Amino acid sequence: MILLEPHNYIIQTTLAEKAIKPSSLDVQFVDFDGVRFHLSTPDRKTALLLSMNIRCWDELVRYGVNDILKREYGSLLRPAPEGEYNVSLEIDLEQLPPEGEERDAFFKSLAMLKRNALAAPFELGFQEQKRLEAAGSGQGELMALHYRDEEVIYVQASSDRVTVIFSTMFREETDRVFGKVFLQEFVDARRLPTIQAAPQVLYTTREAPLEIRHLPGLHDTEDVGYVTFVLFPRHFANPLVANSTITHIQLFRDYLHYHIKCSKAYMHSRMRHRVSEFQKVLNRAKTEQAVVDRKTASGRTMR
Amino acid sequence: MSNVLRPYLAAVRSTLTAALTLEDFSSQVVERHNKPEVEVGVSKEVLLNPLTISRNENERVLVEPSVNSVRISIKIKQADEIEQILCHKFTRFMMQRAESFIVLRRKAVKGYDISFLITNNHTDIMLKHKIVDFIIQFMEEVDKEISEMKLSLNARARVVAESYLSVFNA
Amino acid sequence: MSLLAPIICDNGTGFSKVGYAGNSDPSFVFPTAIATRGPAAQPSRTGPALPSKPGHLASKRGVEDLDFFIGDEALANAQTPGYGINYPIRHGQIDNWDYMERYWEQTIFKYLRAEPEDHYFLLTEPPLNPPENREQTAEIFFESFNIKGLYIAVQAVLALAASWSSNRVTDRTLTGTVIDSGDGVTHVIPCAEGYVIGSAIKHIPIAGRDITQFVLNLMRERGEMVNVPPEDHLKVASKVKEQYSYVCQDIVKEFRKYDQEPYKYFARYEGEHTVTGRKYEIDVGYERFLAPEIFFNPEIFSSDFLTPLPEIVDGVIQQSPIDVRRGLYKNIVLSGGSTMFQHFGNRLKRDLKQIVDRRLDASVVASGSHLRSSGVEVDVISHKRQRYAVWFGGSLLASLPEFYSSCHTKAQYDEIGPSICRRYQIFGSAT
Repeated sequence: MILLEPHNYIIQTTLAEKAIKPSSLDVQFVDFDGVRFHLSTPDRKTALLLSMNIRCWDELVRYGVNDILKREYGSLLRPAPEGEYNVSLEIDLEQLPPEGEERDAFFKSLAMLKRNALAAPFELGFQEQKRLEAAGSGQGELMALHYRDEEVIYVQASSDRVTVIFSTMFREETDRVFGKVFLQEFVDARRLPTIQAAPQVLYTTREAPLEIRHLPGLHDTEDVGYVTFVLFPRHFANPLVANSTITHIQLFRDYLHYHIKCSKAYMHSRMRHRVSEFQKVLNRAKTEQAVVDRKTASGRTMR
Repeated sequence: MSNVLRPYLAAVRSTLTAALTLEDFSSQVVERHNKPEVEVGVSKEVLLNPLTISRNENERVLVEPSVNSVRISIKIKQADEIEQILCHKFTRFMMQRAESFIVLRRKAVKGYDISFLITNNHTDIMLKHKIVDFIIQFMEEVDKEISEMKLSLNARARVVAESYLSVFNA
Repeated sequence: MSLLAPIICDNGTGFSKVGYAGNSDPSFVFPTAIATRGPAAQPSRTGPALPSKPGHLASKRGVEDLDFFIGDEALANAQTPGYGINYPIRHGQIDNWDYMERYWEQTIFKYLRAEPEDHYFLLTEPPLNPPENREQTAEIFFESFNIKGLYIAVQAVLALAASWSSNRVTDRTLTGTVIDSGDGVTHVIPCAEGYVIGSAIKHIPIAGRDITQFVLNLMRERGEMVNVPPEDHLKVASKVKEQYSYVCQDIVKEFRKYDQEPYKYFARYEGEHTVTGRKYEIDVGYERFLAPEIFFNPEIFSSDFLTPLPEIVDGVIQQSPIDVRRGLYKNIVLSGGSTMFQHFGNRLKRDLKQIVDRRLDASVVASGSHLRSSGVEVDVISHKRQRYAVWFGGSLLASLPEFYSSCHTKAQYDEIGPSICRRYQIFGSAT
């Protein structure tokens, strides 16, 4: 698995299961970036309630998340969300689309709830860019999305592009060093002829990019970095492309951290192998009678 | 093995072979104790002169012989931040498993990345020249392993970045 | 910021149960299997072939280690050319750390979709797990995944905690005997105040898989299986076991009942051929009560293992220190899928009570009727959460506020190193 999937697996599988066999349910779970879900059947077995809590909801509201969710989910949206959650959807299992592709698509769209909510500033940015392009010049509002405790996404439209800036923060030394290597490759990768069309990527540590330098409260330590994606109009030329761009760019941070962790796991595998090789070399030094392997009753070696 | 490395390793090998002349030696300070003198360091007369073999400012080996034990500390080449992290990770991973490595010390001597402690008990149960072989092989391969890990990290990063960015092409 | 729910991972030999604390059921239950490129390390024991998906990562150089599947997807891909299936856990203990690390990696990122840096984790381990394994686990979770905090709990203790949900349990104690019967093996584990009495643990080589086999044998003998396609035999047998079996109080009476009124007691199982869709029906008879009977009369199934379960339980408790024996008799807790049979608890309680009373009577006689015991209370607790008791117990404990103070945090790990995980504070016991 190289790319992360945009939809939530638990929502998808649970709904599919309940569609076949409705039963009462009350589960809480999470998604990346501290998004919390609550899936329950408060009244009857066939009426599911899916609620989501997202940290930066207030900001999302300002960027028009309500319109997007209304567009995506329409009548499913409950006027007043469940307490301590930001948005609630009501799903009636008796009125599902017919079984087959249509139903799967419906479940998938529900599983993309987080993605759709987070799409708000990006969609707004894309619209803003269209407007500015027509006007000829100018800069859109700098939209900040505090999606994690210490990390922020900034989106800003201008007449010929939309700039997306991720502030990154590595809590650990190893992650920081690995992250640097990875991010440097993101910057360099675009030189390859095959991916010339990809957005331009810039990466700086400590020093914030010009767009956000005026903001108060920026940290100025070694652990902080800024990744800038420059999206050109071709990345959101039609709704289909725009949607895939949004889906993809949202997951950037999770993607990066997933791969940092995978590389560490890979390093561990390598080290395990190397250490056992060294072990063999040292064992060769032992004289005959000294070679006693401690074994358990079932014959396994203790290691 | 590159030609520059060979004299360095040869020097370490002959030093170690010479240093590994150990005998059983009871503590002069505490009755009925038998401790590696190089670690205790109280009886100055049984300690021999420590010796440093340097290849350059980043790579060196410290050999501290005594009557019943030898301590060998190695500083591994670290050219940049990545190698530093990898080296640190690797040595810690190995020292974590010191139990099965018998001659490995759980903590490195200050200023070095990894230390071995060979006592007269070890030379009794193991063949001396094979212990030396082990140390030399370790020195040879640890450099190789770290640079390979670094390469593979870079290769991974490239694949990862490419696969992420190529989605935008579609 | 409100803390995100801790993640509970119960990795067993056969199945892994994973999910978030606070829920009553795990979010995912899938086989502890990983399908990787290259040959399988051991002969695969998989089900029938399923539609295969070609690996799309094979062409990328340098990331071969990301090309793998876990859980049900692993089994589905076992037949794909180039993939081999591996089971990283054997006999409850982690056998292959490389596979296990990657297994966890995908569990977290693909299925749970959690950023491990934001979560606490509760993992389980079998009784008598060597501390080195704990250290290795901690190394993986803290160094690879940077998790916030870790608690490693013994499965039996969690099963005891799960029994608190039963309304028959009044005091929340961590003293009791756990009978944990899964797919491969059954353990009888005595625990005192949250500590496992390692020297008294007993294993019984009869568990879910053997019961299924026994049901199959019985139905074959009666000729019921002729209509069933051979590849479905095991599946049908396990369905029959799960849906129709119960524990009877007296075999002889039960046989008589069935013979007198077969129409009342024989059940009908309807199945469908997986490939052709042809329907078939089979009669389910004596195996309904004979299947779980192999716990109580093992001689009907095996010739090498002949001690009935109640005797084993009694033996285990008698081997434990004398001052906890009363507590162990009083709180016998069931855990795992193979203890789910109806009336299983009642039967065990009755048989065990008989053994105990007989011994008490004998001692009364031996003392010349001068000393009379006040009696020993024997109780077997069954509850609704038995199937995933270990996971549920974990979920219960991890949603207590004390959980966070019992965990070792990343900062503590960085300070002290993996050896910190050799010891964990027992928490949740009655205070």
